[in-house]
Amino acid sequence: MCASVKYNIRGPALIPRMKTKHRIYYIALFSVVLLGLIATGVFQFWPHSIESASDWGVEKRSVRAVPVVRLPADSPIPERGDLSCRMHTCFDVYRCGFNPKNKIKVYIYPLKKYVDDSGAPVGTTLSREYNELLAAIADSDYYTDDIGRACLFVPSVDVLNQNALRVKETAQALAQLARWDRGMNHLLFNMLPGSPPDYNTALDVPRDRALLAGGGFSTWTYRQGYDVSIPVYSPLSVEVELPEKGPGARRYFLLSSQMGLHPEFREELEALQAKHGDAVMVLDKCTNLSEGVLAVRKRCHKHQVFDYPQVLQEATFCVVLRGARLGQAALSDVLQAGCVPVVIADSYILPFSEVLDWKRASVVVPEEKMSDTYSILQSIPQRQVEEMQRQARWFWEAYFRSIKAIALATLQIINDRIYPYAAISYEEWNDPPMVKWSSVSNPLFLPLIPPQSQGFTAIVLTYDRVESLFRVITEVSKVPSLSKLLVVWNNQNKNPPEESLWPKIRVPLKVVRTAENKLSNRFFPYNEIETEAVLAIDDDIIMLTSDELQFGYEVWREFPDRLVGYPGRLHLWDHEMNKWKYESEWTNEVSMVLTGAAFYHKYFNYLYTYKMPGDIKNWVDAHMNCEDIAMNFLVANVTGKAVIKVTPRKKFKCPECTAIDGLSLDQTHMVERSECINKFASVFGTMPLKVVEHRADPVLYKDDFPEKLKSFPNIGSL
Amino acid sequence: MKSWRRKSLWLALSASWLFLFLLGLPPLLRPAVPPRPLPGAPEGWPHWLDAELLPSYSQPGELPEDAAPPTRAPSGGGCNWGACFDPSQCRCGGLKVFVYPAAGPTSEIHHQILASLQRSRYHTFSPREACLLLFLSPDAPTGAPIPVPAQWDGGKNHLVLSLHPAPCPKTFQLGQAMVAEASPPVDTFRPGFDVALPCLPEAHPLQGGAPGQLRQHSPHPAETLLALAEERGGWRTVGTNSSACHWDGRCEQDLAPNQTLGRATLPRATFCLIPSHHSAASRFLQALQAGCVPVLLSPRWELPFSEVIDWTKAAIVADERLPVQVAAALQQMPPARVLALRQQTQFLWDAYFSSVEKIIHTTLEIIQDRISGVSAHPSLMWNNPPGALLALPTFSTSPQDYPFYHLQQGSRPMGGFSALIQVGASAQLPLKLIQAVAGSQHCAQVLILWSSERPPPPRGKWPETAVPLTVMEGHRKASDRFFPHSTINTDAILSLDAHCSLSTSEVDFAFVVWQNFPERMVGFLTMSHFWDSARGGWGYTAEKANEFSMVLTSAAFYHRYYHTLFTHSLPRALRTLADGAPGCVDVLLNFLVAAVTKLPPIKASGDPRPELQPPDPDCVNLMAAGFGHMPLVSSRLRLDPVLFKDPVSVLRKKYRSLEKP
Repeated sequence: MCASVKYNIRGPALIPRMKTKHRIYYIALFSVVLLGLIATGVFQFWPHSIESASDWGVEKRSVRAVPVVRLPADSPIPERGDLSCRMHTCFDVYRCGFNPKNKIKVYIYPLKKYVDDSGAPVGTTLSREYNELLAAIADSDYYTDDIGRACLFVPSVDVLNQNALRVKETAQALAQLARWDRGMNHLLFNMLPGSPPDYNTALDVPRDRALLAGGGFSTWTYRQGYDVSIPVYSPLSVEVELPEKGPGARRYFLLSSQMGLHPEFREELEALQAKHGDAVMVLDKCTNLSEGVLAVRKRCHKHQVFDYPQVLQEATFCVVLRGARLGQAALSDVLQAGCVPVVIADSYILPFSEVLDWKRASVVVPEEKMSDTYSILQSIPQRQVEEMQRQARWFWEAYFRSIKAIALATLQIINDRIYPYAAISYEEWNDPPMVKWSSVSNPLFLPLIPPQSQGFTAIVLTYDRVESLFRVITEVSKVPSLSKLLVVWNNQNKNPPEESLWPKIRVPLKVVRTAENKLSNRFFPYNEIETEAVLAIDDDIIMLTSDELQFGYEVWREFPDRLVGYPGRLHLWDHEMNKWKYESEWTNEVSMVLTGAAFYHKYFNYLYTYKMPGDIKNWVDAHMNCEDIAMNFLVANVTGKAVIKVTPRKKFKCPECTAIDGLSLDQTHMVERSECINKFASVFGTMPLKVVEHRADPVLYKDDFPEKLKSFPNIGSL
Repeated sequence: MKSWRRKSLWLALSASWLFLFLLGLPPLLRPAVPPRPLPGAPEGWPHWLDAELLPSYSQPGELPEDAAPPTRAPSGGGCNWGACFDPSQCRCGGLKVFVYPAAGPTSEIHHQILASLQRSRYHTFSPREACLLLFLSPDAPTGAPIPVPAQWDGGKNHLVLSLHPAPCPKTFQLGQAMVAEASPPVDTFRPGFDVALPCLPEAHPLQGGAPGQLRQHSPHPAETLLALAEERGGWRTVGTNSSACHWDGRCEQDLAPNQTLGRATLPRATFCLIPSHHSAASRFLQALQAGCVPVLLSPRWELPFSEVIDWTKAAIVADERLPVQVAAALQQMPPARVLALRQQTQFLWDAYFSSVEKIIHTTLEIIQDRISGVSAHPSLMWNNPPGALLALPTFSTSPQDYPFYHLQQGSRPMGGFSALIQVGASAQLPLKLIQAVAGSQHCAQVLILWSSERPPPPRGKWPETAVPLTVMEGHRKASDRFFPHSTINTDAILSLDAHCSLSTSEVDFAFVVWQNFPERMVGFLTMSHFWDSARGGWGYTAEKANEFSMVLTSAAFYHRYYHTLFTHSLPRALRTLADGAPGCVDVLLNFLVAAVTKLPPIKASGDPRPELQPPDPDCVNLMAAGFGHMPLVSSRLRLDPVLFKDPVSVLRKKYRSLEKP
């Protein structure tokens, strides 16, 4: 553009001298041509302009302007839903096919307006909630716009509220969808089923094999494992912001806030109120509200007026009674207020009951027992009530809060049925974030003492100290339970000694050569490791006796989920520096063991190599230090348990190293190690190490007992 | 003229500039990032211009006021818990079960099922006291018609139990009765009302039961990936090259070694494929016991105890129509998941399935949970060791109060400890012991259990202590000391005999150790059990040895929950037995804790030097018979303070008095 501007400036000079009058015309003509050129260029090369053009044209349309489809009166109607449908009978799973991400693909039909022969619409074209729902699906990972690749189809026919549609014509509209095929793999969302006077508990629109995500199922209409029970969305969720209120006792013990209750139910509730006084409060709609006040946002008791849903936060328990329908939007309001719902609706299938554990967040009272409600609730211990209040609020936040939350939870449930091996666990569905954060699920939770016969695999990491290495091999091979010895040769510039030079030992000895001199090679899950127990040992640890090693293995068998090691270390909080400090002195406590000599489960090798949080693994390899501290962090974090230090303290330095092991070297070492602890604690976001005051010794260690009768006599001698 | 020319020139120039500006500016002002995904990405749901104006799906006040309650759907033989069971007959929310005596001749197994029902704490001999009447369906179809039981009443509050999948002879209408049967078909099973039982092999042990077969947490590298349940009843292991195999049983092109195993052998593979048909249901328990993760292909039968057991943690239910995908998913399953699944199979087998008695007790526990409503076992207790049969919800509904769930809950045992000192017949005041124990910084209170004929001395005779001291009168029974006294308000109990001597250091150290192992017993004095082949039975000794499996409760820390478990879950016969023989009660508590934890107790350093009671040799054998198996586990280690007897100045050591030679 700049160049053309210059050209423009220079323009007049290039024009040959002519009569002034004509010159003006020429200049004008020239500038017009030039401007035209520039304008074209701008349109051609400016990337945004094309995008925005399509933005204006295609995306922004009016719902009233969607194509109209006329349904002839005799167009086909699907069969009524089949009550015996299950995923393996009525769902075509082949359409979902192989998928490395284990995610179903969902297609949404384009919006159409359906009218009957006379031109009258069959129902609401699109409600605000259904629009939100479809937009949420389209924005999610499940969405595909390719009808051929889709495994689940969502019609854009809005059936959220049965009252807003004509049953037969809507069914006809469904039947003419491009891939309807008896409703196979189609998902309908309905929150208000049934119509007067008998209010069926499932959508009356004939839908053949289509899945129904319905709010208000009863045990008679709900097809377990096929349909999805969803909440009845409360539009108040977006209108009113109710801040989370801490659990604890509230003004009312039990509150009923629903309007339009059946007189019989209201009588029962009022009887409860009469019996228990102020603890129970029964509200009803207000009769004498002034103009302009929304009736849905007010509740009254005699002449007292309360704001709804704010009043719900004043109660510990809130009644959710069935009305004409089983599903009530009040349930959502009650959960939002952190009030524990008392559900009185026989045979009602609670929302998402396939995955949500409602026992943790609600109390279900049979209608027959309504008069006992108060005493039933009184019998719940306070701690449990508080837990339920927290859980109720968490359910609302996760699964009731918005139409989007409802839509995604529904799709996740269907997804979990189709890809069960990748399904979300009970804890992920039900545990509030606070519990998820503080709880530890130990990967080796089964109390199992592995048989002694299995033995252990010793892994020696070595670089080039062959002489010392051979001594270690000879020493370790004396341990009765050793089943294999693995030497990890970490020196790429030098070949390991010839086979004939290695010490002859009674168990298989295998040398693994590594591609790079990295500390993490010590913790690689080599295929050669066949036993569960691994002994990591440095090539200079020659001071451990066979008894000590065998005893260490026995201790590991009793604690297979822990690091069991010899030299122990401690981390301390340095109050002056406000950070963690590494401690190797003679202390009364232990929180780490060095992996220069330690037993552990081979699964931790896998975790170290593939599941180490953050950049710790690379950091350790780059700094050539602290791989043992990283392992201690990893195991403590994943198991929530402390290490076990075995046998008394020994001098653990190799004799030939002491000469160079000066004081200054020691100090920089300590500083480096402290740095490691601080770095790892920040990556883990917490300090997982556990401090203990005990170590493990043989039962008869230093006891007054004949030495030769002890199983492990040779322990602790220097 | 010139000026006019120049003027017009400038005018034209500025006009063209202005024009340029106007054209160029708007695109520059647009955001640099396109608002919509680039062409090629899915188009998505349109953003409607009038989205804000769309009507809400439900208009306030739309619901008809004072609507009539929906008429109940015609229950075409359908029953659910609310409609067909009347829990009001269960007094104080407690289940009481009456079992109809068998009519006519009964088989041995029938007889033993009755016996194990009678061992349940829910059993009653009076049909009037009961709120559940249990009818055992005969295991072999007999020619004679089965008479309708006396209190039948249309089947209300009845449970018809048939352990073996022999077709239930429906000579009378089941009516409103619940049905507990083996592997019920999904189509007729009524969730929340019926109980699904496992399909048992013919020779299932009645009590105790074999432990799970899993010997290691993670699969051995050489272990085969898959075993297939064969029609004839065996298992066929398929090599790891399993993708070449068709799941309908054809495996011709599979190059990996195939091996067919006999009917009785358990499969040795990581996953066990169980086809959909009903007859394969019996293979499910086999796989579970072997620690082989069951992969069920669209089962047509309900998984056992599906009401409470979260099977997604121990098995995989996949669609039989996607075999390739299942195989690929199994091969690619993350090791962490495989590890968890394997372990869960073993826990479930051991907690609920390994014996007929456990299956029956689990069935009753499920019904009790339905009756108790809010105070039922939370899902956490059903699906985590030690299982719901060993976690009594009458103790507490908060998992933090139990010794087992601290990790999952991110909690710690509460408070210090309560010292519970039993003063026996000698009625000698353990003054020194009280002072040593009360001197511990962790001691919350001292409780004296006075079990002597003589009355306890007056208040003034007791030593002054910093913590409250309470004297309780006992009933002079050995099992008294394990009663859940309401005065115990800490999670930890230090159980002591009056005649033992402990130092404050020893108490402090052992308590700190116990905090790390709240589910185990931490003691000082040990005993070990052994198999005495000469006598053909178990023996035990209190002599010093290289290993131990019990700690004496004359000085031991343990969780107060074990008092509840001891008093309320142990069969009465065992407690009476323990009352009869001194020292036997120690063994019983050790048996109980070991049966719950499957782990040995912990010996802490310290030597309380009490007089050892001569152990009754028969005690261990009687207990083992009562439990149906030997739960004790041996340990070879003792926990000492970190610097115990290390060559370093005593001043640096925290627990100095333990250093005494």
